[in-house]
Amino acid sequence: MAPAAMRGDDPIPAKAGVGLRFQHHQAVLECPPDVAFMEVHTENYMGGGAAIGCLEAVRRNSPVSLHGVGLSLGSAEGLDPVHLERIKQVAERIEPALMSEHIAWSVSGGNYLADLLPLPMTEEALGVVCRHVDEMQTTLRRKILVENPSTYMQFRHSTIPEWEFMAAVAARTGCGILCDINNIFVSAKNHGWDASIYVAALPIEAIGEIHLAGHSVRQLADGGNLRIDDHGSRVIDEVWALYAEALRRFGPTPTLIEWDNNIPPLEVLLAQARHADTLISKENELRRAVAA
Amino acid sequence: MPSLLEFQSAMRAQLLDNSSPATTATLAAALTPADLISIYRNTSRIALINALRLNYPAVQQLVGEDFFAVAADIFITSDPPRTAWLDLYGMAFPEFLEGFAPAASLRYLPDVGRLERAVSRALHAADRETVTPAQLASIDPLAAGGLCFTPHPSVSLLSSDYPVDAIWRAVRARDDAAVAAIDLTTGPISLLIERKAGNIEVTRVDERRRRFAEALFAGHPLTAALELVAHAEAPAWLAAHLAAGHFIRFATTQAPHTPASLGNQ
Repeated sequence: MAPAAMRGDDPIPAKAGVGLRFQHHQAVLECPPDVAFMEVHTENYMGGGAAIGCLEAVRRNSPVSLHGVGLSLGSAEGLDPVHLERIKQVAERIEPALMSEHIAWSVSGGNYLADLLPLPMTEEALGVVCRHVDEMQTTLRRKILVENPSTYMQFRHSTIPEWEFMAAVAARTGCGILCDINNIFVSAKNHGWDASIYVAALPIEAIGEIHLAGHSVRQLADGGNLRIDDHGSRVIDEVWALYAEALRRFGPTPTLIEWDNNIPPLEVLLAQARHADTLISKENELRRAVAA
Repeated sequence: MPSLLEFQSAMRAQLLDNSSPATTATLAAALTPADLISIYRNTSRIALINALRLNYPAVQQLVGEDFFAVAADIFITSDPPRTAWLDLYGMAFPEFLEGFAPAASLRYLPDVGRLERAVSRALHAADRETVTPAQLASIDPLAAGGLCFTPHPSVSLLSSDYPVDAIWRAVRARDDAAVAAIDLTTGPISLLIERKAGNIEVTRVDERRRRFAEALFAGHPLTAALELVAHAEAPAWLAAHLAAGHFIRFATTQAPHTPASLGNQ
């Protein structure tokens, strides 16, 4: 279970935020955008110098969410204590409102493989992930969120549906879930799952944040296609529809627009965030109407 | 059923060296396991090549994007990162370039890489409190000779047989006229690389200043550094180092070393 004296109880309002990349540092410092929060990849702000200094300045205007991409919660060989310590140092300087990592692995044989690689959904992998979430939460003395992956391959030896795996990690460790709607959509399309069943299976009380992003579609020789989660375009209509469905189930939730490749002008991200806010407002109105 | 450790070792081998047989069991029908692995491998390679591009932009401009990508791909296979903090990935790339036969005609290339490595290290070094001249005011003048310093992690020195600072500046500015005007035969240079208010400054220093700074950065006592260079302006150089925040700690030693103990400076 999560340590008792933990920080990180969700101070971010249930509204939309945007991912912050270096290209937009200057723009957000000169004119802080009207968003609920900003999220960065923790690994981009390690060490000292201008980058972390800039993030400290951003933090004075806006809550910040630290989203890790490299701790490798799913590695059989254990967490890198040096990397976990670096994450802790960033957290101590930034005092983030949220911290998150992925249900994936990226370290093997002491090498960082620079991608969020898919885990076999087995009891062994579940045990490894839970042990590492415990270690991360204990070291950081706060609750973290874990994000569901987007995958292109499944493994014959997997025995647990991914949505049950996610729910089990939250139940066993007390961590929250960062529900990536685009990832659910991408994986569901790639593997022939029902995205609605996935969303309906996640524990409402564990949901701490939602991610939205664009993805690309690769045509295959057999006439089928493969969805690639490249965060390089606008959120597609079907993902907005699944997001609305998720808001119906989870209630209004802090929502991030992620855009990591082919990064557009900040205004494009802000427009996507405003659309998410519109859907959150609709959900709020619906809930008020039902309560009245 | 493979254990998680066995499974991850097999997939690691496929990602780092795509000649390894694709052993990973998958369910996907439309693509073979090897095709699927190649999607992950491609994402991984793009991320790592980009990390090297960010650390060695001038090297990339000198050899061209395609050449750089080929060299980077070979380097990544031989020296994959050991941490997800990629800001300092590829610190052995300059030495790799030195042994990379297709780039042998660009004799100055490894040293341009070394300058870019020093710039990356300076950019990302930890923030530390620095020693101020006022802190040294309380030192007993008799003990001052035994003063030893610890340099700030962002400051370093680099020597080269080529004018790599001029090459680096001209290439980064995409100033073709300046690149064309560079004379590779002007002789050895020494550079001081430092971070000032988040920005990196690269300054040429003469031989005596380099030896003085090198001795101090190596933690040798002040008297030893002063005697090494035997120059009337050396105390002013120390003041400049202090004013620039080049030191994070100082200590006084009881028995100052003599220059002879400094070895091959």
